[in-house]
Amino acid sequence: MTTTPAPSSIPALPDEAIAVRIRNLNYFFGQGELRKQVLFDINLDLPKGEIVIMTGPSGSGKTTLLTLIGALRTVPDGSLKVLGRDIVGMGRSQLVDVRRNIGFIFQAHNLFDSLSAAQNVEMAVELAPNWREKRRQAVAILTQLGLSDRVDYKPKALSGGQKQRVAIARALVNQPPLILADEPTAALDKKSGRDVVTLMQQLAKSEGRTILMVTHDNRILDVADRIVTMVDGRLDSDENLGHFVDTHDPKTLDRRMFIL
Amino acid sequence: MQTPLALLNLVHERTRLIVAIAGVAFAVILVFMNLGFLGSLSKTASLFYQEMNADIFLISPQALEITTTKPFPIERVYQAAGVRGVERAMPLYVGYLQWRNPETRQSRAVFAFGFNLNDPLFLLPELQEPQTLATLRQPDTVLIDRLSRPEYGPLEPGTETEADRRRVVVGGQYSLGGAFAADATVIMSDQNFRRYLSPIPLTLVNLGLVKLQPDADLQAVKAALQRTLPPDVRVLTQAEIIESDRDYWIGTTSTGFIFGLGVAVSVVVGIVIVYQVLYTDITSHLKQYATLKAMGYRSRFLFSTVIQEAVILAVLGYIPGFIVALGLYELTYRATSGGLPIAMELERAITVLILTIIMCSISGLISVNKVVSADPADVFS
Ligand SMILES: Nc1ncnc2c1ncn2[C@@H]1O[C@H](COP(=O)(O)OP(=O)(O)OP(=O)(O)O)[C@@H](O)[C@H]1O
Ligand SMILES: [Mg+2]
Repeated sequence: MTTTPAPSSIPALPDEAIAVRIRNLNYFFGQGELRKQVLFDINLDLPKGEIVIMTGPSGSGKTTLLTLIGALRTVPDGSLKVLGRDIVGMGRSQLVDVRRNIGFIFQAHNLFDSLSAAQNVEMAVELAPNWREKRRQAVAILTQLGLSDRVDYKPKALSGGQKQRVAIARALVNQPPLILADEPTAALDKKSGRDVVTLMQQLAKSEGRTILMVTHDNRILDVADRIVTMVDGRLDSDENLGHFVDTHDPKTLDRRMFIL
Repeated sequence: MQTPLALLNLVHERTRLIVAIAGVAFAVILVFMNLGFLGSLSKTASLFYQEMNADIFLISPQALEITTTKPFPIERVYQAAGVRGVERAMPLYVGYLQWRNPETRQSRAVFAFGFNLNDPLFLLPELQEPQTLATLRQPDTVLIDRLSRPEYGPLEPGTETEADRRRVVVGGQYSLGGAFAADATVIMSDQNFRRYLSPIPLTLVNLGLVKLQPDADLQAVKAALQRTLPPDVRVLTQAEIIESDRDYWIGTTSTGFIFGLGVAVSVVVGIVIVYQVLYTDITSHLKQYATLKAMGYRSRFLFSTVIQEAVILAVLGYIPGFIVALGLYELTYRATSGGLPIAMELERAITVLILTIIMCSISGLISVNKVVSADPADVFS
């Protein structure tokens, strides 16, 4: 197995073409005695318009990295540029501004049971400066995700896949340039999972969005332009899909993904 | 319009909403009843004075309230009549009699007013009629309050019984209410009063009632009276004597404290119930609130959502609470056959609404910390 040290593998792309640029990022959880490093010297570039999949064993730090890129935590050191703004040292209030440009998709859909599908999506639209047409926007994106006949349903009346698509609609409705997804298909059956990923791929390709998706689901790896692997808090490999498939025969892959 | 998240969250959980509304309504009812009783006490304290045709009252400095006065010489009343701006000064005699129920022959105390029939001392409509006054001129004849409690027996005009072992005839009726003095009151001429309450001479009076000329200045006349009269009488305006009696009944006795405590306890109960409901609601939506934060909502938004929920609960609980309180007021009024003048007042309705909103907001503020500190990074876990 070939493992290229991360820094040397980073192509020298100009800043404008980069959605996320990470340099020498370390991250610790806990204080004092309990202080534990979970991310070690991460270097990673996400070029605009690319779909990057991150895999790796459980507990390796994938979600942690995602929350840092997503401006969900304060970042103490290193360099982390998201959509042109360095978020290292930013306060909570500035982080909120960064977050408004990011679409988040979680394993749990986290929809409000009290709101209809459209209303859940509208909550996102209301963050935009002009939301007078929020209903129309919400219906449009839900239609695009194949939910035109479910816009006024409450989450209770939707299937798991439908709920996940509502959550995706909510993440995408403001057309964020960056989308961060953490195991978006984990709660879905094979077919729904596939549909959801295909939709995300279409949106990324047709509208030039950058997507970083954490997944254990090797059935969907084919949508990726690039696959990065996290092991024990380090980016272990960073390669394009062809290379990944060539160098990982399915059995090895399965073992790496699921034994741990 | 922004999605009414607070309202939709509350409406979505029907049972929880009903519990919350019932809890707020319960607190609102308790507060209304306590304030109602307190209000009726202060109204009761002013009851007698409001039916008296006077702007200024003379009373002994030793008096605590109207039933515990110390008689003073009638000369003070005459002196007052001579002060500039005074139209008329009138003596009033008060005291207790034992009224015998003609049917059960049991005696109970009545509070008696005696006055000079030539003085327009009472504002009660029955006492404006010359016929009533003519009746009162007859010996041993009195008017009795038709709001007196049933224990006094039949009160119809013509009823004959005994008061302080002396024959008495009911000459007519009026509506006043016994206030704190007694469960019944009677009004009679000073001549009759002297007969019943001898050996009290008519030269010692309990109250002096001063009616001013229409253009006279209240404070100026009061000051003049204070200058003219020796210190064996206090000079009080109507508002002051009402306040003095009220302070006695509500302040000096522990009545005010008890009802005040009642209000405080009700509010605390309300705070706890609403807190429970809001806290449960927040806890069960924590992931969603964290998601809103991740999407870019600020803590301020979540804060205001919780406070909105609190205010909505306050208003939704206030409405049924208000309606039930109206019913209970009516019920209390009837049960005491008007003896407890308890009624809704606009000012009280508004005060309680504001108090309810404050109560729920306090619950909101206690529970809001949990949602404000929701960690947006938790949405991924
Ligand atoms: N809030 C936290 N406080 C302390 N330690 C944490 C916290 N969150 C995660 N960790 C630790 O950080 C490490 C990385 O966790 P992370 O959730 O990023 O892993 P992951 O790669 O997403 O795993 P999985 O594939 O199971 O989701 C783990 O050892 C975990 O125990
Ligand atoms: Mg994870």
